[in-house]
Amino acid sequence: MKSSILRQAVILALFALLPAAGEAIYFRDKISWRSAIAPSEMVTVEQARGLGDTVIWVDARPDEEFASDHVPGAILLNEDRWNELLPQFLAVWSPGKKVVVYCSSLSCNASREVVRRLRKEAQLSDVFVLEGGWEAWLKKNR
Amino acid sequence: MKTPILAFTLSMIMCLGARAQLKWEQTTIELRPAPNDKQAIGHFKYENTGKTPIHFKSVHASCGCTTAQTQKEEVPPGDKGEITATFNIGDRTGSQVKTVTVETDEATNQKTVLTLKAEIPQQLEITPNFVFWKQGDKPDTKTINVKVGKDFTVKHIKVTSSTPDFEAKVEEAGKGEFKIDVKPQDTNKVVASMLTIQPEDSQKVFYATARITNAPQVQ
Repeated sequence: MKSSILRQAVILALFALLPAAGEAIYFRDKISWRSAIAPSEMVTVEQARGLGDTVIWVDARPDEEFASDHVPGAILLNEDRWNELLPQFLAVWSPGKKVVVYCSSLSCNASREVVRRLRKEAQLSDVFVLEGGWEAWLKKNR
Repeated sequence: MKTPILAFTLSMIMCLGARAQLKWEQTTIELRPAPNDKQAIGHFKYENTGKTPIHFKSVHASCGCTTAQTQKEEVPPGDKGEITATFNIGDRTGSQVKTVTVETDEATNQKTVLTLKAEIPQQLEITPNFVFWKQGDKPDTKTINVKVGKDFTVKHIKVTSSTPDFEAKVEEAGKGEFKIDVKPQDTNKVVASMLTIQPEDSQKVFYATARITNAPQVQ
């Protein structure tokens, strides 16, 4: 009797494994829509505040969201108009400055993409993603 | 003893069959937009294979650059339709993955994630697209590397500086590769220049920035 229950349990477990294996095979090359960012390239609102005057805030959200409200002094740099906006950002950047990029839950991968491109294309090193984005900044500042 | 297992398995299969109402033709679409395309559009087709109407509760995209539209709010049994996802490319390059989350009032499987993948062709890869000197630095030459994208042929490029403060010289660096040597006249004053990079026989223009920055402040 005991061995029969055990056998049934094993068979049921095998049945359960079938869809799991199928899903693992189906999703093996499905990449996440979020860009990979190392934890060392992320900063919290408190850490960003601690950077004081050395920080340049970059808003990676679409134009309309930036126009509606943004971190005081932030510079707009989004991928919709990257070629036009990048020179404007570079005009205010200077060596020693730390760049903190944020976006919102509506455009939540945008800051990661902007950081990736600033690091790769412009070869700037002190560029970070703001954890929690615009919403986190609002929560701590208003 | 085999009967309970068989009954259980059959009942599970029947339950799964009854649940699967909104059947998607595909939940991932891969697109290859042309070089000058402004948008990439994916059509996610579905069919209500169940016996009751299905209502869309919400359809939202993962980013502001993507919009998603349903043709109707209610899908009667046996009816077909599609959700159109439009990705505004802007100045994005390379591999892009955008998702659309669809929520329905089905008893099970209420959320479906539709994935739109787009490979945006890049005619020129410019690295770095920013070169700078600190005020007072030696005005050494700095090099910008230009690599032609795999789907393109560019034999020559033309580079012009927006100000005479920087000199830019182009040199071929192998098949589909170029070097742009940028040299400031001097580094005495803070100045910036836009370098316009244009492939021969192309209307598309690329940019790089050269700049003399402020000397770091001594604390």
